[in-house]
Amino acid sequence: MNSANKKAIWKKKKYRSEEKKDMISGYLYIAPFFIIFALIGLYPALFSIYLAFQKWNGLSPMTFNGLANFELVLTDPLFWKSVYNTIVMGIMGTAPQLVVGLILAYLLNLAFLKFKSFFRVTIFMPYLTSMVAVALIFSVLFSNHESSFANYVLTNLFGLDPVSWAASEWGTKIAISLMVFWRWVGYNTIIYLAGIQSIPNDLYEAATVDGANKFQQLRYITIPMMKPFIILTVFTSTVGAMQLFSEPTVFLGADAFTRDEAMTIVMYLYRDAFRLQSFGTASATAIILLVIITIFAVINLRLTQGFGRKKRGVKK
Amino acid sequence: MKRIKGIALLGFLALLVVSLVACSGDGDKETGGDSKGEITLDFWTFGATGYEELAKEYEKQNPNVKIKIKSSETADHHDALFTSLSAGSGAPDIAMLEIDQFDRFKVAQDRFNNLYDLGAKDVQDQYLDWKWKSGENADGDFLFGLPTDIGPKALYYRTDLFEQAGLPTDPEEVAALINSPEAFEEAGLKVKEATGMPFVDSIEMAFRAYLDAAETAYLTPDNELNLGEDSEVKKAYDYAVHLNDLGIVGKYEMWSPEWANAVNKGEFAAELGAGWLKGWMEGNAPDAVGKWKVATLPTEFAANWGGSYIAVPSETKHAQEAYDFIEWLVSPENQLKSFQSHGLFPSAHSVYEMEEFKTNEDEFFGNQATAPVFAEAAQDITGIGYKGEKYFPVHNEILNALKNVQNEGADPEKEWEAAVKRAEDLMKR
Repeated sequence: MNSANKKAIWKKKKYRSEEKKDMISGYLYIAPFFIIFALIGLYPALFSIYLAFQKWNGLSPMTFNGLANFELVLTDPLFWKSVYNTIVMGIMGTAPQLVVGLILAYLLNLAFLKFKSFFRVTIFMPYLTSMVAVALIFSVLFSNHESSFANYVLTNLFGLDPVSWAASEWGTKIAISLMVFWRWVGYNTIIYLAGIQSIPNDLYEAATVDGANKFQQLRYITIPMMKPFIILTVFTSTVGAMQLFSEPTVFLGADAFTRDEAMTIVMYLYRDAFRLQSFGTASATAIILLVIITIFAVINLRLTQGFGRKKRGVKK
Repeated sequence: MKRIKGIALLGFLALLVVSLVACSGDGDKETGGDSKGEITLDFWTFGATGYEELAKEYEKQNPNVKIKIKSSETADHHDALFTSLSAGSGAPDIAMLEIDQFDRFKVAQDRFNNLYDLGAKDVQDQYLDWKWKSGENADGDFLFGLPTDIGPKALYYRTDLFEQAGLPTDPEEVAALINSPEAFEEAGLKVKEATGMPFVDSIEMAFRAYLDAAETAYLTPDNELNLGEDSEVKKAYDYAVHLNDLGIVGKYEMWSPEWANAVNKGEFAAELGAGWLKGWMEGNAPDAVGKWKVATLPTEFAANWGGSYIAVPSETKHAQEAYDFIEWLVSPENQLKSFQSHGLFPSAHSVYEMEEFKTNEDEFFGNQATAPVFAEAAQDITGIGYKGEKYFPVHNEILNALKNVQNEGADPEKEWEAAVKRAEDLMKR
């Protein structure tokens, strides 16, 4: 086909295909993302579904294993321990975070607070620090040693017994939850702050005219109006909590995969793949984790849909 | 018309994919020879080997060879190597392999060059037989790696604590006295009575006393668990529990700050350590100069702990050149150099006869010439037990059981059964 010919056809069809052309160029513009995503996101995800039914050590040929991988994981007490750990640390790390974040956002928005931007930056700062640095510093503050900072505070200020923070059932969980809390509370505060500021002032004015007190305003205006923001943070926190991995791994160092006090689901998965060379059960764990996250997302959705729809709540 | 656009689009996409793939694949794998006939060999090592200096020497002798050494931390090194071998690209021309990690690579014989094909048979008799044999596959017709250093175990002991307990302090007398597991135990009780200090530092070391010497440890060469009531592991387990019952086992964990402090201050009397522990002590226990000495262990405990091999992955385009380099690198003369500069204990037995080796006195050990003690220990070793792909995971399970026994006073038999159950579970994966 020569070019003159081509042009003629182009011209003829130009009008009709204008829309289509736009569409194609649009797809071309977004193509790089989808190609990269397909290669490094979609392909590994699909491959791990395939792997979940194979027995594979990474080097030898794979052998089909049916549902045996799932059976192995689901009957392993350590797996259930990791589910328990993940949920416990997830609740301890995120629930207080959301409450405290809401309170902090409210305080930061108070009209009479001075140095507002200073406090806002300070509260957000932990989010910007490197996770590894945070975990390393926490592992020094919360070391098993009797003279570690955390134990010093416990024994000298509160007169309690020292805790072995890296080797006891609750010590590790508390230390890691604190670390998660410290790092993420600022992030959620900033989101809530943006939410609070987006609520139009006339609602409060009207409420004041109607004689509503501060608490009623908070309950019937602020919280319902904040609903989308709360849903967002609950969602991201839940997913983040389910994927907890780096914090305990760096915090516990060499013991991370030999002890079970802080082993999370993702750590269990990692241990299977990269410590035990069992990529089949690791992939099966990944699929089970997907199911667990979906269940939690649905529960979240149900819970958050219900609240804020009180009689006088603002409809969205 | 649509079709042309479709083809154009497809072509564009294909181009993108190709360029993306090209970006990701290449880059670090520029090992091909260029026009001058010069070749570059990528060499991955771990730990402090001092091979950089030796490589420079080799480059001087062989101007057409460039050696690029990348040194990483032990676990990272093996994980990176494992990943690149599994992916089938990105592996170096030469790679060091630690003996405990070795077996998980042996399942992939096709990813390595058989060094017997490259001339390794000619140098076999220079090395300790047991060390050489564990570099082979099960049939003995495929050699994965040439031996570098070894880790013969010996008894490190505190002379001050031994003296207080009325035990001899001269290495030969100590070796003569502690010549059996029972004598080991008695010495421990004496130390405990006289000084109140534990004899062995940790339950892991007490366990490793028999474990490292076991011919069949956790797994048989057919990859079956070997944890029956009369297995060697159970014997090692029972011995560790027994020593713990006697109260002569400390609660330190090797490499922890508390442990390092105890080595320095003499808060336990004996360590069943390999040759490489010496280098660590010299650098990290400044207060203990002249307080530690080294004696040979009872033959029941004669064992190897650690050491490495150097292998040539099959991805390399320069297998022969790579082999020539490593053959030179682990030759007896160069093993002596590695020993003198970095304490890598030689696996070539001719080094043990060399004058520089025998008279190498250690100021740290009160001017004792420790090398011959380790050389003797190396020759006492009859073989290295098969470790198997899942050695470490199983080891950790048994070790957890022992720690529960020691720290929480758990019932040893119940803990053992639970650990065996967990180990069986691991093996199914």
